Amino acid sequence: MSETVKLVCIMCPMGCPLQLEHEGSELREVTGHDCNRGAKYARQEFTDPRRGLSTTVAIAGARWSRLPVKASRPVRKEQVREAARRIHALRVQAPVRCGQVLLKDLLGEAGLDVVATRSMDRAAKETPASS
Amino acid sequence: MLGRLERSYDVVVVGGGPAGMGAALGARDSGTGRVLILDREPDPGGILLQCVHSGFGLHYFKEELTGPEYAERFFTKTIDRDIDVVPDCYVSGIAVDSDGSKRVRVMSAAAGLRAVQARSVVLAMGCRERTRGAIRIPGTRPAGVLTAGLAQKLVNMKGCLPGKRIVILGSGDIGLIMARRLTLEGCEVLGVFEVMPYSNGLTRNVVQCLEDFGIPLHLSTTVAYIHGRDRVEKVTVAPVGPDFRPDMSRARDIPCDTLLLSIGLIPENELSQSLGIKLDEITGGPEVSSTLETSMPGVYACGNVLHVHDLVDFVTNEALLAGRFAGERAQGIRRPADNIRIDAGDNVRYCVPHTLSPEREHTIYMRCKRAMKPCRLRVGNLLEKKLRFVVPAEMIMLKIQPDLLEKFQGDSLRIDIVPESEGESGV
Repeated sequence: MSETVKLVCIMCPMGCPLQLEHEGSELREVTGHDCNRGAKYARQEFTDPRRGLSTTVAIAGARWSRLPVKASRPVRKEQVREAARRIHALRVQAPVRCGQVLLKDLLGEAGLDVVATRSMDRAAKETPASS
Repeated sequence: MLGRLERSYDVVVVGGGPAGMGAALGARDSGTGRVLILDREPDPGGILLQCVHSGFGLHYFKEELTGPEYAERFFTKTIDRDIDVVPDCYVSGIAVDSDGSKRVRVMSAAAGLRAVQARSVVLAMGCRERTRGAIRIPGTRPAGVLTAGLAQKLVNMKGCLPGKRIVILGSGDIGLIMARRLTLEGCEVLGVFEVMPYSNGLTRNVVQCLEDFGIPLHLSTTVAYIHGRDRVEKVTVAPVGPDFRPDMSRARDIPCDTLLLSIGLIPENELSQSLGIKLDEITGGPEVSSTLETSMPGVYACGNVLHVHDLVDFVTNEALLAGRFAGERAQGIRRPADNIRIDAGDNVRYCVPHTLSPEREHTIYMRCKRAMKPCRLRVGNLLEKKLRFVVPAEMIMLKIQPDLLEKFQGDSLRIDIVPESEGESGV
């Protein structure tokens, strides 16, 4: 028995409505896409949906109290919330350089790192504008 | 160097966001010597610094960056190119001397009130968010009603959550991004409400910021009343009819402590207005020539102060150009005046720049009024281009080669977006 999953393609603002026909975990046919990017997206979403994850962590000794960070590669979709929670628990100390790895192998996945997306120097003194 | 303020510069750039940094680099590329960026924040980078999500730089750097990464790459370039950046300051006025040079009045935390001499000025002040007053939501005036971008700054830079139970009005991209952001920070986002029958944000954001987290999007629905004395206690939401009036017979209350507004952006042009610069009623930004010069000679504009962009990559390209022409002017190089006016025709809301010159290649940025697919973009009788689709949320970029304009005899060029079928039978 084949079943149908409906998705909206996100590869461009056109937003093609995609239909994925599958039997269990086997993808039979993708229809509704206007270009190949839609077919590729449908396949990826069906077999291994992943999401980019960026968030912030607490930083001490810098002008700002939050440091922006990202996962070095997309996280499995069902693990996004858990990954965000783990990253949230991190505490870092200024100075930090953009690209610095703050945590290796997030969720036990080799090569999935948490990386700073901004450099933050030690704050010389509290800036009135930031209080 | 950060913080140094000399008495005189070739080019002074007002605003240190992506537009300001791009303009300063463009000015240096033109060969001009002394360039200054003035910014009101403690760090340059503008709104990019609070946009911690990714999706920036795909056009310009050919890779997907977060906002702070994009900003840092440009900030590093400004250091490498010996551009002076003065943070924590405010431009309170610009005066024009009899020889056409400008005096920029700067209020700085470090240096007090100072006047800086400039041969050219680039306006790069960006835009600000529309607030509750712009759409006159009835109700009380409690704490907990704030714009989505302000919430973004509080959460992503200052580490403060605006509330716990959040309702978002407006489905612009900032609102969608904040729905996901607040969910990941542990808040409960109860729903996004959009008065239009379609989302104003990218489909990508509707899927990845709302659907992934089970946050409902209610189209053709608005917030009709805000309740609460000291703090928001609940909001009344109601579906709207074709006239956009809320149908109170179908209204319901949602208990919440915070209402975020993502209801549009306005170019921030008080400084431009104080100079008497002519503004475009539709974009809310200055009218500019193809060199991005405003109606005041020697004053240029780029980025969101000129018209609200959806991609920072386009801001950068526009800013590099504005900076280059500002730098050329500072060196005494004068380009021939534009002689072709652009008119926004069918299904075109606006075009920037407002005039063209046959002398060089141009990039025209425009927005459509309504979605259309497939369609044709028609530039007078010079050019027709097939487009798979147009949507108001996505800016259309069109390059025009000089040889095309050389053949053009008229003084105004009309741009239309027409349905595919009409295009074929047309000119």
